[in-house]
Amino acid sequence: MKEILLGNMAIALGAVHAGVKVVSGYPGTPSTEVLESVVQYNRDGRIQVEWSTNEKAALEIAAGASYCGARSMVTMKQVGLNVASDPLMSLGVIGTKGGMVVVVADDPGPISSQTEQDTRHFGKFANIPVLDPSSPEEAYEMAKYAFELSEKLKLPVILRPTTKVCHSSGTVETGGSIYEYEPEGFVKDPRWVIFPPLSYRRHLEIEKQQNEISELFDSLPFNRIEGEGEYGIAAGGVTYAIVKDIVEAFGLKVTLLKSGAVFPPPNGLYEEFLNRVQRVLVLEELDPVIEEQLYQVMAIRNLQRPISGKMNGFVTPAGELKFDNTLKIIEKFLGVEMSDTAVTPPMELPMRAPVLCAGCPHRASFYAVKKAMHGKKAVFCGDIGCYTLGNGKPLEMTDTCLCMGAGITIAQGIKKAEPDTYAFAFIGDSTFFASGMTGLANAVYNQTDINVIILDNSTTAMTGHQPHPGTGRTMMGTMTQKIDIYSVAKALNVGFVERLNPFDQEKSIETVKKAAEYEGVSVLIFEAPCITLIRPQTTFRIQNCTGCRKCLREIGCPAMSVRDNRVEINDALCYGCGLCVKVCPTGCIQQEVQS
Amino acid sequence: MNIIISGVGGQGTILASKILAAGAVLEGRNARTGETIGMSQRGGCVVSHVRTGNVHSAYIPAGKAELLLSFEIFEGARCIPQLKKGGQAIINTTVITPVSTTLGKNSLDVEKVKDYISQNSHAVFVDADSIAKKCGSVKASNTVLIGVAYGLGVLDLSRESLIQAIRDNVKPKFFDLNVKAFNAGVAACEGVENHEKHG
Repeated sequence: MKEILLGNMAIALGAVHAGVKVVSGYPGTPSTEVLESVVQYNRDGRIQVEWSTNEKAALEIAAGASYCGARSMVTMKQVGLNVASDPLMSLGVIGTKGGMVVVVADDPGPISSQTEQDTRHFGKFANIPVLDPSSPEEAYEMAKYAFELSEKLKLPVILRPTTKVCHSSGTVETGGSIYEYEPEGFVKDPRWVIFPPLSYRRHLEIEKQQNEISELFDSLPFNRIEGEGEYGIAAGGVTYAIVKDIVEAFGLKVTLLKSGAVFPPPNGLYEEFLNRVQRVLVLEELDPVIEEQLYQVMAIRNLQRPISGKMNGFVTPAGELKFDNTLKIIEKFLGVEMSDTAVTPPMELPMRAPVLCAGCPHRASFYAVKKAMHGKKAVFCGDIGCYTLGNGKPLEMTDTCLCMGAGITIAQGIKKAEPDTYAFAFIGDSTFFASGMTGLANAVYNQTDINVIILDNSTTAMTGHQPHPGTGRTMMGTMTQKIDIYSVAKALNVGFVERLNPFDQEKSIETVKKAAEYEGVSVLIFEAPCITLIRPQTTFRIQNCTGCRKCLREIGCPAMSVRDNRVEINDALCYGCGLCVKVCPTGCIQQEVQS
Repeated sequence: MNIIISGVGGQGTILASKILAAGAVLEGRNARTGETIGMSQRGGCVVSHVRTGNVHSAYIPAGKAELLLSFEIFEGARCIPQLKKGGQAIINTTVITPVSTTLGKNSLDVEKVKDYISQNSHAVFVDADSIAKKCGSVKASNTVLIGVAYGLGVLDLSRESLIQAIRDNVKPKFFDLNVKAFNAGVAACEGVENHEKHG
């Protein structure tokens, strides 16, 4: 049966058909739906699936399962692999037993990420094979194959889709059967204990193995040469699909090299490609990985072909390669014009940046801290989550954002360098469990007077509402003990810990002031659920608005807009949080009476 | 066929693209969709691409879409360059004001935006939100817009395939609501046809 599947669902299905038994991960766009889709395919509960507290934990869980001979998969976004890079580097040396696939989604653009880093480098860094799908259909095939390859090589295999594979869908044959096997179980053996002499021996073996894998990749269907002509185009990932559309649409006579199993590089195939063409264009998103690999083959084989790519400035070094800019690059390379000049010019339209939702409790938390610290010298360190949107006007309550958990520790650095500053750190509940606790322990231990605001909305909101250790729910559908953030802070010896409802603005503002003046680390937990977890209880309307617009200037709620110089509330968007009522100086915002 | 669906994060554009792509697969064709998922969903611009037939990439080149379905008028205008000259645009007349505009001095000029859309496409404006509300929920505006597209005869899909695709992609308890909304969309466009379709 053929079905429309999102790339991430296709990866999940490939893993399920390959007989995966343990799946772990940490949510992160664009990777999140892989693990969630495994849950959808796991109605009989034969697969152990979990959201782990962070990517490092997740990768180690998948490794442990693999040590037992079970097929395992771990999922994360590219910056998540930075967190998991410690176990990954060592695992590349130790190796695996049951097929283990590390799904790391890259995000050219970037569209929803801090960096445009390229996970293919991690493959090279850790000597781990990398498969780079060009479509959801190929992602399915690669996911299945990755388990076989991993078992054959006794190495983890990275499957590295990019956003436009993860979040596009294709027509996938879904009727495959599930590979059945019985894992051998953990067998005690010195090979699982990493010691320097073992690492040295393994290093020799792994380097030799790289050449064998490269030869294997020469003849994989994921790597191939298509068409003919003296102009050669090498492409990988989703860019291959775009180039293929262009080649077919314009009937171009080019030799196309598709690099899908991209590390270790299929050097034999690259050499054949270089021998067939006179000049080369390399099209790939993020870093010039295929391009460097081709230069390397030319240097070793003493070949000379002019290469146009990122390294000579022919192709943009950053951002996505879409159909239209790829077409322009190919035109320049071939010296022909193909672009359609009849495209309608765009109209100038207002920007529409993402914002905190109407009724979002983070708005009330930010507003309370802003009011409490008005006129004081304060820095507000942010973190990764919906609340990063607190940087926008009119709140402007995010002065720094670096990476997961960094707010708490950046605030400590600021306090040390600038002791007369009130240093605040905002962090969400899921991020606190992922990487906030160690930073908090550091502040207590090193006696740095920071003020930590934990925005506890009972979910991992930004990535689509995943459970976490504080929610009491697991991905196996079971209930579990909630880990209480208040008790964690107390156990870490934080001297000032309070729970607050951010919509109780008076108490919140007063408590923030107390926390700021408290000498030592303070933790305030603003508890209010994400609006997606609740139904609006009431809505508000405005009568006799004087048009002062203070509500808009202060809180910038997307449910409020102006018509005929009067502010009005869109009842379809209002969640009835009532924050605007506390801001309005004339008392003209009233609760809608429910009929 | 190439279809662009645009709107504001949270309006339900992804369901519309799923239904259209699944409809094509039910008719034995290949289909692809490209979605906006992630940070942009928080009230930002969202665009879905739907392509049926044998193409390799899910993303439609500029000026090559035959149909634009927009859930919001400004986001409709933003995607006009995606549409081929004289392509069909079906635009929900709802206006969602960006917070930055609310905070700024300039107000939105809806008439100017309507003119731009009309001048550069074969445009039909529908109050899909009101129609959906009458059917039971504003959230069904996506099936209203699909109904309008079907009613105008611009979709290469049968009614049966679309209804089946709706059945396969919405929760069972919302199926009747969405079929009602689809039918209301078809009915609404019968009225539109006389006045605006060729206007």
